[in-house]
Amino acid sequence: MDQLESLFQPTQVSNREETRIAYSRDASRIQGECRAVVWPETVTDIVRLAQWAAETGVDLVPRGAGTGLCGGSTPQNSVVVDSARLRHIDVLNLQLKHVVVEAGVPLDQLNLNLRSSGLFLPVIPGSHRSATIGGMIATNAAGLHAVRYGRMSDWVEEVVVVDGKGEIQRLSVGDRNAFAGREGITGMIVQATLRLTEIPKSRSLTLFSFEHLADMLEQVKQLKTNSALSALEYLNPHAAGLVGWTARHCVLAEYYSGEGEIRDPAEMVNLWGARESLSARLTQAGFPISEDPQFPPEALEDNLDWLMVQNIPVFGHLGVGILHPRFLREDARIAELYYRVSASGGQISGEHGMGLKKRHWASEALKAEVLALKRQFDPQHIFNRGKLC
Amino acid sequence: MLIDLTENPDCTECGLCREACPVFQIQRQEEYSPRGRVMLDCAGLQTLVFYQCTLCRTCRIVCPIGHDPNGETLRSELINAGIETSANQTMIINIRLYGNPFGPLADGELPKVLTCC
Repeated sequence: MDQLESLFQPTQVSNREETRIAYSRDASRIQGECRAVVWPETVTDIVRLAQWAAETGVDLVPRGAGTGLCGGSTPQNSVVVDSARLRHIDVLNLQLKHVVVEAGVPLDQLNLNLRSSGLFLPVIPGSHRSATIGGMIATNAAGLHAVRYGRMSDWVEEVVVVDGKGEIQRLSVGDRNAFAGREGITGMIVQATLRLTEIPKSRSLTLFSFEHLADMLEQVKQLKTNSALSALEYLNPHAAGLVGWTARHCVLAEYYSGEGEIRDPAEMVNLWGARESLSARLTQAGFPISEDPQFPPEALEDNLDWLMVQNIPVFGHLGVGILHPRFLREDARIAELYYRVSASGGQISGEHGMGLKKRHWASEALKAEVLALKRQFDPQHIFNRGKLC
Repeated sequence: MLIDLTENPDCTECGLCREACPVFQIQRQEEYSPRGRVMLDCAGLQTLVFYQCTLCRTCRIVCPIGHDPNGETLRSELINAGIETSANQTMIINIRLYGNPFGPLADGELPKVLTCC
């Protein structure tokens, strides 16, 4: 630790008890152990830190806002590298619709700063208030508007990463496989050039509710053909009841046009507020474990029906097949869910990542990919050891 | 007027409060965020970090379940345990001796001119 402290200003490193406790877990609440925290302010700070870690063998855990749900930034006797002071929004190119930002910029802050330009970054995960750009890239976030805008990797033009050799890598779209969704195992994302799009001129919502799953899925199929569709969120009857909606299969459809039934801005804010409060409400209601399977369209009915029969509350981004069923702690049905996802050709992790929570479920193909990436970018395994697989 | 604290659900540690917290905006360290303080309290720590909360309750406004940070309770527990900062002690002595937190005043001097933003 003395050596680590000598590398930085006193305000940039801490191993006080308060610090170690506050960084010992993320929103997954998977308990870890933090040795110390470093708050880099420049890319050279991270280079120095990576070189120190390579010499000492200490594991470095990159951390954004700590809103991840799989323990991706939970330390395991590691030094946490917090991007909270990497907050510059550097260059906005209106012609190219590009912006250059540091990794610790929170999404809402970025979009607030961009508002006067008429542009925004449209990937909006539920944690948008705090989620950082670096964390969103590392988890390849999808979120509320994925049905229209896809994932974070679709909006990244270039990233600057400090890898496990302490080298600064400038990776472009062609190398997205090396950083997007890699949960910090290839290095620490320092800066990104992001693509932006125009802020929609109008919005409206319709809240559908259905007695039968099959009717709902038929409606969803039709809605997805609408070019104005910008969000398609699902709540099953158990989840809908918790936010005061009719306890049926509910679908919240957002349009970038006036064709929705609800156009009053205050009413739309209320509906989105209810939807966005759902995750915390379900935790409070005794369902703290959030899963994120992604099912192919043909497997949705069977699996949504199974979740209903099991009395499991579910919400999610139905437009892209990502669901968030909520479970009790140590719920044996989680393993059953994973088997069902694999059998249907889906993904165990649709958008939260694998982290510590799901690493034992990583496929052989993923393990092989990770090994190859580690060899290339982090041969001494100093970044986020033991995560992803 | 204090916000009604009768319903105060447990913090879920989602971290959505961080950016709303004026102290976190300055410190940029998790232990000073509302979530961080909850974690310190859960770990049974009595720490001067609790004095850093401004009691503004902005975190409660943005919290998806309306969790209250209970800043007053955390502080009063510190006082009961005799954990104070020298600034606190000086302030209390000044109030008791001089009727204001700033100390002795010259004749006719006002302790502070309060202005409204």
